[in-house]
Amino acid sequence: MHTKSLAAYENVVGHVAISQLKQLAQDLAGARVVHVNSTRAGGGVAEILQWLIPLMNDLGLNASREVIEGYSEFFNVTKTFHNGLQGSPVALPQSMIETYEQTLAENADRLRSTLEKADFVFIHDPQPAFLLDLCPNRKGKWIWRCHIDVSHPNRKVWNYLKRIVSGYDASIFSMPHFAQRLDHPQFIIAPSIDPLSEKNCELTQQEINTTLDRFSISKELPILTQISRFDRFKDPIGVINAFNMLNSSVDAQLVLAGGGATDDPEGAAMFEEVQDAARGNDRIFLLLLPSNAHRTINALQRASIIVIQKSLQEGFGLTVTEAMWKSKPVIGGNVGGIRLQVCNHQTGFLVDTPEGAALRIRELLRQPKKIETMGKTAKEFVTYNFLLTRHLREYLTLMLGLRRGLENYLIAA
Amino acid sequence: MAITTEKNNMPFEVKDCTIITRMGGVDTAVNLRELRERVTICPIECIFHHFCETLIRPTFDDPEFRNDFAVWSARQLRDRVLAERLGVINPYSLDNFEQLREIVLDIIDERLSELVYIPWVPRGNDFRFMRGVTVLFDCGVELTTPEDLVKQLPNFSYSSIYYHFIEARRRTPDKADDFSAWLAGFGSGTESLISALKGIDFYYLTLPELKKSLIKATQSPGSEISHAHQIVSSL
Repeated sequence: MHTKSLAAYENVVGHVAISQLKQLAQDLAGARVVHVNSTRAGGGVAEILQWLIPLMNDLGLNASREVIEGYSEFFNVTKTFHNGLQGSPVALPQSMIETYEQTLAENADRLRSTLEKADFVFIHDPQPAFLLDLCPNRKGKWIWRCHIDVSHPNRKVWNYLKRIVSGYDASIFSMPHFAQRLDHPQFIIAPSIDPLSEKNCELTQQEINTTLDRFSISKELPILTQISRFDRFKDPIGVINAFNMLNSSVDAQLVLAGGGATDDPEGAAMFEEVQDAARGNDRIFLLLLPSNAHRTINALQRASIIVIQKSLQEGFGLTVTEAMWKSKPVIGGNVGGIRLQVCNHQTGFLVDTPEGAALRIRELLRQPKKIETMGKTAKEFVTYNFLLTRHLREYLTLMLGLRRGLENYLIAA
Repeated sequence: MAITTEKNNMPFEVKDCTIITRMGGVDTAVNLRELRERVTICPIECIFHHFCETLIRPTFDDPEFRNDFAVWSARQLRDRVLAERLGVINPYSLDNFEQLREIVLDIIDERLSELVYIPWVPRGNDFRFMRGVTVLFDCGVELTTPEDLVKQLPNFSYSSIYYHFIEARRRTPDKADDFSAWLAGFGSGTESLISALKGIDFYYLTLPELKKSLIKATQSPGSEISHAHQIVSSL
């Protein structure tokens, strides 16, 4: 439960950022804003809504959240949508479409009154998208917020969804390369992190040390960490290969920490592969963490001297943002949103191969001053661009823009 | 020499700004010929965004090239000749942004006539046309004298510097920065200060560099500007 008020963030982002939010919110005071998504807890969207709605209310808007309900058959269909939108070859028979539309019709009976009265409705991802068709007397602006990479969708799935989302007043994508051509305004709003959340708040050195002790990680040797699911696209084997390349010349430890192996057959196989690759090297630590191990992840990131995110494919890569917020240089794969955050030689290095990662790890470990400078630059960059106050400001701007008309200038308050 | 100034009754209201970006409404370009076609038809706001708003987007300043067309030519098309020709354009030296569009098209046409094949980029590295909406904020600070401006400049945010010193040239008829326009309202006595501000070659500076230049120009002891400032202050 998110209980922090806007004032709590002033110490982190400064008075000016808070003042800007208040100016933008003046003309939106009392506006009824409803966010609709498909899960109450778990996942990035739920995490965002947990802070976004209280902060919107703190600014004088009347924001609330609705969660759609459905049986497993419905969520199998939406999972098919999700995979198809990310480019997987999937089948979409008529029976699936009927399940999808029927389930949302049942949800609409419950939500119609709230949604039709709202001034702004944000529909998150494809799961609830069809609600628009089921609320014919809507009076507000409806915005489709797409959190996933739809740059190369399965055409069958996209053609079905495109007809639905074309009816919205606007859509939001996380990066320009995720966007599809639509006839309404498409905004680009990057994700963000909450600097006061358990995953990102300051920790005492004692808590960090306790976490290291729990996993028998040495406090004496430099720690290199990659936090991510054990997933082929995160390239954990590539990270181990990079580490092995420098093992003889560099005294360091490698921590690979994340979840995802227990409920995903592919993930379990991947974890076994990673275990095989790490076998025999007692400087490599593989940690399978539960999804709520936020403070543990925070401690591991803070204990690290360098954070690695050597993905082969990536959406935005919020683990990169989290590491940069903790003043860590990041060695990241040259893909997706990592390229937006890691600027070569300034906040870290972009690499395409395990060899590249090994080269940059060695370069950094031999230059502590560079680690410090890059870490400082990285934190400044995140402070200015990737904290939740920027995210909130862009939501408010979009709402004001849709209400007043999208001119070249928008005067707050 | 007798110098007289008139009182400027209009205070300078300090503003700040951010942008929110949206897609430009034209297809992406995967090769140089497509880039030419899209530049021809894209909204003029896209041209402005890719040349001028690069400074306040959440990206690092590219020290090599200032506009997105040059950066894309260098990094994705791997055509440094084209990148350098596009990179040297200063949009603020032109009469308007339509003229800028014509120059970009002319440079691309010239390059297309020189190449034996059309350069392409790999999937995912296509040029995406964007445009921005500038959002204005009131900082709650008003300046009433030139001395206030000199004193307050170190407190200006980078985005505020961008808005008053760079973006102003888009919205004022004589393409002046807001500081110079306001100082001109004081009549004689501020000419040197205005002249020094006009002398800053801002387009190739990052915002931190520009802020430093502005502060240095207005605060360096013995400089022309400081001299003008002292004269104005003593009046």
